[in-house]
Amino acid sequence: MAYAINTPEGTRDRLFAECRERRQVQTALTTLFQRRSYAEVSTPEVEFYDLFLQSGNPMPQESMLKIIDRSGKIMVMRPDCTTPIARVAATKLKAVPLPQRLYYDQTVFRSGQEHKGGSSEIAQCGVELIGAAGRKADLEMVAMAVDALRACGLKQFHIELGHVGFFRDLAGRMDMPAEAMEQMRVLIEGKNFAALGDMLEPYAGQSASTALRRLSRLFGGAEVLDEAERLTGGSSALTYLRKLYTELAQAGYGAYIRFDMGLVHQIDYYTGVVFRGYVEGAGDAVLSGGRYDRLVEAFGRRAPATGFAVDVDAVAGCLPSREPPRVKFLVHFGGGELSRALKAVDEHAVGTCELSPCENLDETERLAREKGAGAVLVLEKGTERVVQL
Amino acid sequence: MSERLRIALTKGRLQDQSVELFEAMGLDCTPVRHPGRRLVHAIPNYPLDAVLAKAPDVITYVEHGVCDLGIAGKDTILEQGKSFYEVLDLGFGKCRFALAVKQGTDFYGTYKTRRIATKYPNVARKFFEEKGMDVSIIKIEGSVELAPILDLADAIVDIVETGVTLRENGLIPIEDVAQVSARLIVNTASMKLHKAVIDDFISRCEQELERRR
Repeated sequence: MAYAINTPEGTRDRLFAECRERRQVQTALTTLFQRRSYAEVSTPEVEFYDLFLQSGNPMPQESMLKIIDRSGKIMVMRPDCTTPIARVAATKLKAVPLPQRLYYDQTVFRSGQEHKGGSSEIAQCGVELIGAAGRKADLEMVAMAVDALRACGLKQFHIELGHVGFFRDLAGRMDMPAEAMEQMRVLIEGKNFAALGDMLEPYAGQSASTALRRLSRLFGGAEVLDEAERLTGGSSALTYLRKLYTELAQAGYGAYIRFDMGLVHQIDYYTGVVFRGYVEGAGDAVLSGGRYDRLVEAFGRRAPATGFAVDVDAVAGCLPSREPPRVKFLVHFGGGELSRALKAVDEHAVGTCELSPCENLDETERLAREKGAGAVLVLEKGTERVVQL
Repeated sequence: MSERLRIALTKGRLQDQSVELFEAMGLDCTPVRHPGRRLVHAIPNYPLDAVLAKAPDVITYVEHGVCDLGIAGKDTILEQGKSFYEVLDLGFGKCRFALAVKQGTDFYGTYKTRRIATKYPNVARKFFEEKGMDVSIIKIEGSVELAPILDLADAIVDIVETGVTLRENGLIPIEDVAQVSARLIVNTASMKLHKAVIDDFISRCEQELERRR
């Protein structure tokens, strides 16, 4: 039974600074979301497994934490926030006119590999803009992704844009069996430069093959769009990204924007612009999102949508740690002095002054020394004095 | 260039060949060749620090982003899964990754569930899953060839360099699982955040690999 006092693998207790930093990020994000007129929704921590199956979200079964309920149905601990919100938008909010701006501040659960140091509980704050297609909605979302990381206090970060249409268009020009196509997509996603080149060798004669070979290297600043243009002779996805970039740059967001034309993950789930946020200090993307126009329809209502989620703890981990407040005063109070004592605590800066539970002053002074407080405020019989230690 | 990259090299045979590659690329690897008690070796004429680690740890360090780059064998990459970019096949450390069975046995010609000894349980499971075959997999840490001799297993899935050890122990490779060689891997966030420096490193690697062809 010794294990019972430890937390299960992938979970942990968060104490003091970790909670403070997490709360700081959550507050920064939710304040921004509210200011942009997004309304909070909260969905159950447990959902039917079939919900995620129906959604077409390509999350592997083994990464979901499962429970069997009394009737024998399989339930999962919420592995993602977007799917339940799409369900809500298609059902409970059916009569509500679109677009809907929704945000969440919830935990998702994913069972990671053993002993990898990953967390099974991931705090996410995110937004969904449901029922809006097109450039203005995408602009709003990308700009908010930049503002979100900025609001958290991050300075060195990029929001990287891609478009699933770019790869689809190139792939469509190739005469290639479906299996090879998927193999190619995996190599592009993994930026496997050499293997991609070898794999495309037999297709060298086809028009799009040069561009596809370069695709895993097509990432970086706006110059990537020019190179992509040269390689492909242009495509509607490229024109679209360029338009987005021009407007974002005009609005002052240009410095944060990068491109990765090889962003081809979850290609059947996303339907347009996809984006990710990278921060100095985090080993993986801390923000990810994109346009998913078919998800809500999977639950019976046609509604194009876009959104993103921020990994709160990953962002918190990149922020400089701040000194916690230190106790400076203890308040020793006599009979009938409770109200003055509480007033004294409330008037000091947060976390710097607390009540002493001790009956006599000696004990209070000892406690104050233990806590490293410099003084005791004594409130007795209507008088007030300070004992310096 | 003020940004310094950190690379994790797999100790042992791959380490020597990695150092040879770096030297051919013009990097001064004296600190790696004469490590002393240091654990982090700064390359004097290139913004790169090298650490040495066991193969699975190379992958762990790169996945967590504490190292930007790593050199590891494809065998370990296949076994450990991957959430990093595997950018180049470095062409050295080549060997076969094979299924080897006891000489004179008919591995497939039975309904009995076969037992497979291996250091690579994930690779072995996937290999037989693709064949639609149920096998029981036994993880072995040391010399895998011992397991069939002791009758613990019917076959092994392991890397084969020359095949001599296998033959001497009455085993013959009957099928390739994968072709193994050393790979250059890159952390996904580092690739984006330090593109200029990483691009330079990769292109120097590529030039040397091209010259070797």
